[in-house]
Amino acid sequence: MNKEIDDLIKDFYKHDYILNEALATSVFLLKNLGKPLLLEGSPGVGKTVLAKTLAQHLGTDLIRLQCYEGLDVSTSIYEWNYQKQLLHIKLFEQETDKKTLGKEIFGMDYVLKRPLLQSISADKPVVLLIDEIDRADEEFEAYLLELLSDFQISIPELGTITARTKPLVILTSNRTRELSDALRRRCLYHWVDFPTKIGEIRIISKKLPDIDEQLATQVVTFIHNLRKASLHKPPGIAESLDWAKTLLLMNQKNITDEIVKTTIGSVLKHKDDVEFVTNRSVQEFLVPID
Amino acid sequence: MQAVNKTFKERIIDFTLYCRERQFMLGPQETRDAFEIASRGYALDRKLFQYSLKAIFCKRKEHYDRFDEMFDRFWSRYYEEKLEQRKKQVKQLKKEKDVDTVIFLGTEFKIPKKKVEQEEAKQTVGANESLRLRMTDFSKVDVGDKEKFEELAEELFHQMSMRFKRRLESANSGQIDIRNTIRHGISKGGLLLELSRKRKRKEKRKVVFILDVSGSMDTYSYYLLRYILVLKKYFKTLEFFTFSTELTHVTPMLRQNNELEILKEIGKNVQSWSSGTKIGASLTEFLSVYGSKFLSQKHVVVILSDGLETGNVAELKEAVRTIKRKCKTLVWLNPLKGTQGYQPIQTGIVNVMPHLDAFESAHNLDSLLKLEKILMDV
Repeated sequence: MNKEIDDLIKDFYKHDYILNEALATSVFLLKNLGKPLLLEGSPGVGKTVLAKTLAQHLGTDLIRLQCYEGLDVSTSIYEWNYQKQLLHIKLFEQETDKKTLGKEIFGMDYVLKRPLLQSISADKPVVLLIDEIDRADEEFEAYLLELLSDFQISIPELGTITARTKPLVILTSNRTRELSDALRRRCLYHWVDFPTKIGEIRIISKKLPDIDEQLATQVVTFIHNLRKASLHKPPGIAESLDWAKTLLLMNQKNITDEIVKTTIGSVLKHKDDVEFVTNRSVQEFLVPID
Repeated sequence: MQAVNKTFKERIIDFTLYCRERQFMLGPQETRDAFEIASRGYALDRKLFQYSLKAIFCKRKEHYDRFDEMFDRFWSRYYEEKLEQRKKQVKQLKKEKDVDTVIFLGTEFKIPKKKVEQEEAKQTVGANESLRLRMTDFSKVDVGDKEKFEELAEELFHQMSMRFKRRLESANSGQIDIRNTIRHGISKGGLLLELSRKRKRKEKRKVVFILDVSGSMDTYSYYLLRYILVLKKYFKTLEFFTFSTELTHVTPMLRQNNELEILKEIGKNVQSWSSGTKIGASLTEFLSVYGSKFLSQKHVVVILSDGLETGNVAELKEAVRTIKRKCKTLVWLNPLKGTQGYQPIQTGIVNVMPHLDAFESAHNLDSLLKLEKILMDV
């Protein structure tokens, strides 16, 4: 592979993130082509952590916009500082004519910058994480198109604000709803899958250096077998790590039926899923996988 | 930066066209990006080139899953095969005098003008071919067309789900939102010039699909199943049952996002696949076990079956009558309706027809897409 990509993989490893070659190439293109990167995948596969690690790798700030239903322009882009505007009007209404007053209160000094505007007006390129875009409404998704293609934002009273420095944009989605083609076409795309068994053992060993190799292997085998079962919420990497951490704290060397019953809550978050596992023998989930 | 030679650029364009034929959403921007990575020398490393094109060309997981195989096929085996074919053609064409030059996949070929026109004509039938496949009955899909048909189905179903999604709720009516009205008024110097209104949430749609998976429906049930999986993304409360000789509640198997996994799961758990048809008994079971939970005046029930009942017709009639009484709308989709000369004269169908709100065909992609209107009005 390319030397720059190898360096990227090594540097991310130093920051406790294990990149595979395909994902490293996508991050590499994000840095070099400057196009936003859309990461899709099940919850808990490390999409958000990737953005955080990228910011650490570049030594820059991470600006995060957490999406939710009802997210609008005033929460994500900008809002007028109404108190300051009213104060200004009261202070100068006798001295200044209305036209000038109007111009004054709709200047940049009276704008409260929200994450998207912050990201394009920063002095140096930042990493902008638009997290769980599938939770936002379609109207908001449409508003993002201008930012993602031209790195500019239009404010009716001020005009178009173009980015001083281009942020590195990462969008994540858990696929709870389908995103529009227009948004997808503006982005590079990467599907973040669950890691392979060896990959996940490496992640656990990297994050928890004190863990016994046998225990790490058992945790990963158990988790991989769980992912194959039809659960409401299959466990992600975060759950694997939580469980491994719990077992480590409890000084466990092996996974037993008893220990599963007491600690499975750190892996499974649904009552039916917990019952599914606790009603079975632990050996069923420790069957070696390919 | 390094200059990319013309031949390689042409190969990239060919690959873009190859992907586009397979329903990838690619425009000039993606081709430009591909040139850009080639000019940076990334094409010198096969893996880097592959992963880079993958990030640029793929826009959905379905693309992502297919890309590696397509890349390999095009840049190695496919390319060699095409080259061999072309070389054979060139040998034959050398004998003819009236020749023209054509560059394909970086190789120069001399092809008679007449032949070039013929080749071009073949290329332009793409749209007609899509139309032909859309109209093809599911039971008559040719083995050679299978792959293209699958891709077309996937794309059309995707487009349909996007159209469903774009129907917006109106926010111009509803009660006045005092908090927002005052908030907006601040920017107008305290004058309440615009009234904000609270958006009234639309009631969630509730749909129940009951799919016949008996032997007589074998050629249709797979596509109908996929169609329902697409609709699942749109209808938040969708219940799905299959039946032949017995009824199976399939909704719990639809939890995963991955369509392939869902299909595997259903294949594993639905035991009565391809067996006989007892529509009446299955619908009666649906009524007694699930009726109280999944039937109300907010529910729309869609039965997908050819109506070839082997059980008790009176039981079928009674079950359909009861379902109609308990739900808002009852739709019957019958793949046989699309067959030429079809008449709804089978005893089962004749008895249920008076209780249906709609009786439509569902034998090809086109007929499934036409159902959008009925389902949008749900």
